[in-house]
Parts: sequence; structure tokens; C-alpha cells
Amino acid sequence: MAIEAVDSRRLRGARETDVSGIGLLRRLDWVLMLALGCTVGYGLWAINGITLHDPSGSSLTHQALYAFAGAVVFTIALFIDPDVYRRWKRPIYVGTAGVMLLVLAGGSVSHGSKRWISLPGGFTFQPSEFGKVLFVLVIAGVLADRARGVNDALTPLRAIGYGLVPILLVFVQPDIGTALVYTAALAAVLFVSGVRWAHLGVLAAIAVGGALLVLWLLPASGINVLKPYQAARLTGFTHPSSDPRGATYNLRQSITAVGAGGLRGRGVLGATQTRLNYLPEHATDFAFASLAEERGFFGVSILLLLYLLIVWRALKIVAGARDLYCAVVAGGIAFMFLFQVFVNSAMTMGIAPITGIPLPFVSVGGSSIITNFLALGVLQAIHMRRGGRRR
Amino acid sequence: MASSRFMPSSNVNEPYLLTPQLAVRVAIIAFLALAVFAVLFLRLWALQVLSGDRYLAQANDNRVRTLRIDAARGAILDRNGDVLVSNVAGTRVELWPADLPKTWPAELRELRALQQVTGVPVRQMLARMKQHGSDPLTPVVVQVGLHQDTIFYLEEHKADFPGVQLAESWLRTYPHQSLAAQVLGYVGEISPQEYKQLQTRGYGATDSIGQAGVESEYDSYLRGVDGSAQLTVDSLGRPKSAAKLEALPKPGDALRLTLDVGLQRAAERALRFGIQTARANGDTHANGGSIVALDPRDGSVLAMASYPTYQPSIFAGRTDPAKLAPLLNETAAERDNHPGLNRAIDVGYPPGSTFKPVTALAAMQEHLLNPYDSIPCTPTFTAYKQVFHNWTPLIDTGMDLQTALAESCDTYFYELGRRFYVLPKYRGHPLQLWARKFGLGESTGIDLSPETKGLIPDPAWRCKTYGGPPCAGYVDRIWKPGYSIQLAIGQGQVLVTPLQMARFYAMIANGGKLVSPHVAEDVELTATSGQPARVLRRFAAQPPATVGVDASALTDVQQGLYEATHASTGTSSGVFGAFPVSIAGKTGSAEKLVRLPGYPNPVNLTQSWWCGYGPYDSPTIVVCALIENGGHGGVAAAPAALKVFEQYFHQTAPITTHASD
Repeated sequence: MAIEAVDSRRLRGARETDVSGIGLLRRLDWVLMLALGCTVGYGLWAINGITLHDPSGSSLTHQALYAFAGAVVFTIALFIDPDVYRRWKRPIYVGTAGVMLLVLAGGSVSHGSKRWISLPGGFTFQPSEFGKVLFVLVIAGVLADRARGVNDALTPLRAIGYGLVPILLVFVQPDIGTALVYTAALAAVLFVSGVRWAHLGVLAAIAVGGALLVLWLLPASGINVLKPYQAARLTGFTHPSSDPRGATYNLRQSITAVGAGGLRGRGVLGATQTRLNYLPEHATDFAFASLAEERGFFGVSILLLLYLLIVWRALKIVAGARDLYCAVVAGGIAFMFLFQVFVNSAMTMGIAPITGIPLPFVSVGGSSIITNFLALGVLQAIHMRRGGRRR
Repeated sequence: MASSRFMPSSNVNEPYLLTPQLAVRVAIIAFLALAVFAVLFLRLWALQVLSGDRYLAQANDNRVRTLRIDAARGAILDRNGDVLVSNVAGTRVELWPADLPKTWPAELRELRALQQVTGVPVRQMLARMKQHGSDPLTPVVVQVGLHQDTIFYLEEHKADFPGVQLAESWLRTYPHQSLAAQVLGYVGEISPQEYKQLQTRGYGATDSIGQAGVESEYDSYLRGVDGSAQLTVDSLGRPKSAAKLEALPKPGDALRLTLDVGLQRAAERALRFGIQTARANGDTHANGGSIVALDPRDGSVLAMASYPTYQPSIFAGRTDPAKLAPLLNETAAERDNHPGLNRAIDVGYPPGSTFKPVTALAAMQEHLLNPYDSIPCTPTFTAYKQVFHNWTPLIDTGMDLQTALAESCDTYFYELGRRFYVLPKYRGHPLQLWARKFGLGESTGIDLSPETKGLIPDPAWRCKTYGGPPCAGYVDRIWKPGYSIQLAIGQGQVLVTPLQMARFYAMIANGGKLVSPHVAEDVELTATSGQPARVLRRFAAQPPATVGVDASALTDVQQGLYEATHASTGTSSGVFGAFPVSIAGKTGSAEKLVRLPGYPNPVNLTQSWWCGYGPYDSPTIVVCALIENGGHGGVAAAPAALKVFEQYFHQTAPITTHASD
């Protein structure tokens, strides 16, 4: 123990010298940097094609602007030691929850749900998006602070207690997709922090039971937690032909769009599902399907491989993190990213419930892009401050 | 350190090493990530590469709307080229289910708005859509023949009616109104059952199709070939390009009928005249009938009237359910005495005395009768302990065939019936056989449908219909003498159609040849500017078939029929005797049990018949008239038939007296 304590001090000293210098930047994960650059560039190219024939014109300019803002956030994040988030976790938590309450109180309504706060200049801001990263930072802090008691059932329960408040706040907006992302992040954070398998098993059982209760048992007995259309969207993918012009219309059109893309894609002009607006929300929730229609199997494969590269680097960062907190944060971010990619692309292909989750770095939306930059910025910050030996 | 109070407690700030536990968990997440991407790639491969073509076709179906450009239906002409049916342009409003609002409340709102504009109930539109079932890309026709202001309204408010499409179409128009309605038939939308049958022959799910008469029979010539245009639409059904013409419509060919408009009109007037005459004479239940005029040389139908009748135009355009009901609904049809029914071919009546020439010819052919032998004509005829009455009791004399036909003596023919009954078993049933050879109880093969065969009763039929133990093996036992005796004067269960009778009298007129009655003459290309009409296909009538009746027997019957219209005692001499052209023919008064509305039991009413031809020496026209419940043949049917001859020969003559039977 003593030796380790000495080591710790030595490391902290090294860190402090590095923070001031350019040397820290040399410790960046350049593969991840390259993957990020390529993904952003590819995403901009893709969204330009997807939105080219929209009535409001291409979103490229907006999206590039957001990407620039995201790059700035990313750069700032590099220079913030993750310990700072850990120390400030309570203010961050309270602030995030407060802003979410504000959204519920006075946010702007769009598509029947309150998710946005209007900013001057016609911009809107979606707190629940930024909240994703902040959520991981806070919950990871709660768990890391009690690392010694991780085997105690109380520790995961306390973390879940912290987590449930934002999850519920997002759920009642209502934004089931984002609430699911939060839940996934919570699960990942618990998992990486070392919660016992038995506890994880019980939690998983409760989660499955809860889902069954909400989607099946309670509606069967006449209590609807979800609005019928929400339930229809969640379960519709299991029977896509049930209501071709109603609940599963989007899904059918989306599958058609993906399939029609074929190996090489139909091009921007030929992609009639997107161009003639058969594919709803093709710039946001269904961007994956639109990309698949325009660029085909090859075009989508490039994006998926870039995502895989990001996830792989993120997991490497988890393994190399300097302390438990950093590892848990990196793990949470990595899994959350993976979850978003999977749910978004799988839903457009009819193998996951339809939820309003954006496709990272592709879907139109400033909050989403900036949040993803922030997430990768935090990952890089962790990587730069990894243990002494270079990996 | 200044910041030390912000630092976390030291216990968690120990140097962190990758513990084996964390390594395992990271590995699990990594494995999960690989699995997730594998699933995504597999699904993507399945959708895009394995079934890409199918989805590509689906995507194209989504956006391409194939619009039908209606072909003008061919005109229907009479034998002189007078137009019986043609078209006028009309606008069709249709619904594309695929382009309707995606939510039910919005869809209902739109349909309600459409109901307000067109007057077509929402329920009807929904039912139509349901009829076409799963196919959202087949438009549903809501209405054809919109009002001009409705068209303007829909054009102006296009944005409020996604999925509603206006298209040019054609409506049937009838310059002569109800003339020859049952022969012409009408046009309606194809029914799902018809569509199932005709799909393979190029019919579409929303096509119009002839539903009765020649419109139905010759639909394949009249309908033409619809053209098509393709339109690209967006998800709200808004056109994104100008319609691209794929195929020009090819108008249908004109159909020329053998009918003569003038004679047809005369026949229909004559029919109404006959009914009025009957009513004026006390036969107050006279309420329907039929007149058929045939050319005895080739079987072409010159006129075919049936009463009551209807206006075929009620099927064109904005239809009114109340007006259509008598044609489509059994109860309403009964109330209006079945206006859609073609009584000339689709109803069997007992022929009464008009059947006597059949008996006479058959008896002579079977050597049961010498036409010059005298057979007593008495008030009653008794055989097998049964008494059969003559229509008039005021007679008691012997008669030869000619006189018996002229005066329509019943007992003379009862005797012939008895002679047929007593024939030994090996001779079979020659009266029925000859009746069928003359085309009675058999379908005439006319190019109209539906046609009833009528009925010539014989023991086999009785056996099949009434069955019972004595029937098996002892067929002839259930055939009682009365049946043969009644049949000889066209009574009992025998049923014939007016057209069958006209055909039989044509056989008498033309010297023993059975003609094939037909109403269609040819299919032709209508004359356009610069191009004369061109016959595309002539329906060559089947050459008349010789029946095998002896010429001498025919001559005897012909003379009998001439006597009937000219001898002082002839049954219709009062009607035809003074007519400048010599007409020969026979009256008939057939008793039939008729079910009348308001009467609990069927009533025995007399059906008034007259069948005959002229000119006597070289006949060119046969007329057969039937007035339902019209009383004696000479009272109602014969004067009606005279009206047709008057129009045909452009001659008139006063009716001197009303004769009987």
C-alpha cells in the first residue's frame, strides 16, 4: 500500500508538469483522432446528400458550424482533468437536473414532446443530449468514491438512485429513446465499476421484468404507463406489416429505403424514399436509412467501420485509464456510444424498437454533435492522463 | 495544496491498475461490440444485397402512380346507323389510399370533407377501399360525372385533399332514353368476383364493364383499351413531375345492332297500347309484356320490347340509389314489377293457343292427323272420365285443320292430344320431341343473356321434378292423359319465351327452317373525319337449319293461320282482316297462376298472345306479342302486334271488331 501511495504522488507530480506543457498533446490517441476526423467528415458529406432535396435545403452549413463548435468543446475538454468533473459532480448533477426541470416547465414543444430550450438567434438546445455525458461523469463519480464498498448492495443502489432522477425527467418529456440511452449508460457504469455479478443479475432481472410489466402486463390489465402510440412504436418492429399506414408506416418505409439502396446505393437523385419524403425524419432519427439508400452497403460499411474503430479505441482507453473513475467514465461513454449506434441503425432495419435516438456525427442536430465531441474529448483527456508507461 | 479540499478522499485516489476483473469486463464489452456490429452488417447485407431488388421495386411502387386514361367506349348503333348509345366526357374523382393522411383522424377528416363536396357517404368510400383490400396503389373511384363547381372546388383546394385525384372519363349517354333498355344493358364498375375471373383478360380492378344486354355480351369489342400515364409523387401524393404518357387510349369499336330504332319505338309503344287496351277491356291486372319482331329469313331481331322498362342512364355518373334499387335489389324489383327483366327471353309463359300449330305439325308428321278429316268441335271434350272445356260453348260442328286453327277450336286439339297420349310406348313422346325441334323449351342461342329455356313437360321431367316411388322404373305412370291433352292447346306446365315463339312462327313463315336469332350485326370502326366507317367483324348468323317438316304440312298450317286473320270466323280477322298487307297469325289466351302483390294466393289470369307474320306470300317479318294478364289474345296482343306491322309496312288499317281467343 505504501509503495502504491508513493507511486501515486509521483504520478500526480508528473501529471501536473504535463498539464502546463505541449507534451500532453503528444499523448493523444492519434488513431482515435483520425477516426473522429473521418467520422465527422464522412457524416458531413452524408448529411449533405441526405438533406440536399429538403424544402429547407442542405443542412451542411449548419452541421459544419455545429461540428466546429463541437471541435472547440472537444479541445477544451482535453485540457480539463477528469478529476475536476469528479470534484464538481454535485453541482453538475444539480445543474443538469435543474435545466431538465426547466425544459419541462418552459421548453418548446416539438413532435408532441418537450425536449428543447430555445436560444436567441433561432437556435435550440437539448439539455438531455448534453446530459448524457454529464450523467456518466456524475454516476461514475458516485461509484468511484465508494470503490471499496462496491461489493455492498447499497453502493449500486445509491448510484441507481442518483441515476433515476434524470432518467425519469427525460422519460416524462417524453423522450423514451434518450431515457433508454441513460439507462444503458447507467448499466455500463455499474458494470465497469465492478458491481458484483449477482447484483447485476438481480438488476437485469428487474429491468426485464419492468419492461414486460410496462409493455405487456399492465396494458393487458388496463393500465397504460406508455401512451399507446409509444408502445406501438416500441413493439411495432416485431410485426412490421400489422398497420402499414399507421404505427409501422415509418418502419416499412425505412426498411424499404435501406433495402432499395442495394450494394452501391441509389445516389442522391435516385434515392426517392429520401428525396420524395417517403422516409420521415430522414435527417435525424432515420439518417441511417437515408444514408443506406443513397450510398448503399459500401457507404454504410465505411461509417460502421469508423464507429467500430471509435468503440475499439474507447475500450482501449478504459483498459489504460489511470484510475477507477477514469475507467468507469470511459467505459460508460464507450458503451453509450455503442448503444446509440446500435439502436439507431438497428431500428431503421427493423431489428430494434423505434426510438428517437440520433446517429452520432450524422443526424442533424447541434446538441447531439457537440455532445459526441464532448464525449470523445473526455475520452482523449483520460487517455492523455493515462499511466506512466506509454501504450 | 490550495485545491486539496476539492480533492476526493484519498482512498479512491490510489494508483489504478488494470485489475483482472476489469479486464474481463472490458473484454465482455468488446465482445458485445463485435457482436453488435456483426448483427448490423448481417442485417444490412440481408436487406441491401439479398433482397435489394424487392425493396427497390417497393420504393418505385411508392412513388410511381400509373394513371388510367379511360378509353371511350364504343357506340351502339341500330341497323341504319342511328346512335342508340354513345359517350359524353365526364370527370372522375378517385382516391389513392396510399396517399391519404397516415393517421385515422386526419383521414376521416378528409373523407368527411370529400363527402360534403361530392355527396358520396364516407361509409361508401371506406367500403370501396376495403373492397380493394390490401392494395394501396389501386385508386378507388368515388364518383364519375362531377358537377362543374365540384371540380373547380377540388382543383382549388387540392392541398386539402391529398390522395384525391381528378381524371377525365366517359359517361354513357342514351339519345333515345329508355329505348331498348333491356337489350342494350348498362355499364357499371366491375365487381370483385368479376374482376377475379377477368383479371387475366386485361381487366383492371376499377374498370367499367358491361353489366347486362349487349353492353355485357360485346364488352370486349366496346371497351377499347385504356391508356396510361405515369406520375411521380412525393409522400404526400403531390405530383413531382408532369404525367408521362405511357400509352394512348384506344377507343372501343362501334357495335351495330339488327334493331331498327323506328320499329323498336313502335314495338314499345304498341306494348303500352296493348296493356292499356287490356285494362280498358277489364283486364285490370295487365301490367307487363313483350313484343319481339324477327326477320324470318335470317333471324335478325328487328325489335325487342319488354315492359316495364327503365332508363339505362341512371347507371351513368352520379347514381341515385333510390333509382337503382328496382334493378339491383330483389324487393324493390318486385315492387316495380322487375323493370330490368328482359321478358322476351328471360321469362317463360304458357303459350296457349299459339302452341296449336306445334300440335298440328307434330300430329301430321307422326301420321296421327289427316288435315282434311273432320274432327268434331264441341263445347266440351270428355276423355278418361275428365271433362275438358272449349273456350266457347257456342259451337257444335265438325272441322278440318284449317278451320280449327282459324277458329282456335280447343276440342279439335284435345283430340289430337289424346291421340298422342294413346301412342304405344315404343313411339316415345313425339309431341314434346317436335316442340323441342321447333326450338321450344330450348335456348335460342341469342347473343343476350340471361336466357331461360322455358319448359316442355314430359314424363322424364315430371319424374325428375316430382320424384316419388312410382317414378323409378315406371316413368310413364306419372304421366296422366290430361297432361297430353292440355299440352296440345299449350296449357298446363308448358312454358315458352316470346322469342322462342317468334322463332317458331319464323319457321312456319320461311318454310321449315329454324333461324338463329341475334341482335348484333357487326363491329365497326366509326367514321371519323376523312375516314369512312369500316366493318371490322361481321357476326355471320348461323344459316337457318332445316327442321324436317313436310312442306305440305307447313302449307296446311300456313293456310290455317291465314284463315285466322282473314276468314269471317278467324280469331283475329277483326284486327288484321282490313290491313292492306296480308298477315297470317294466331291468337293465344293462356291461363297462368299469377302471384299478385296484395293477394294471398296466386290468381288464375289469362296471358294474351298473338304471333304471326307478313306478307303472307313472302314473309319478311314475324311479330310475337305477349301482354301479361292481358286477357284474350285478340283483345290485347293482336292489336298491339298490328301497331308493329303498321310501322313496318308504313300502312294503317282500322280495327273492325275485337275477336276472341
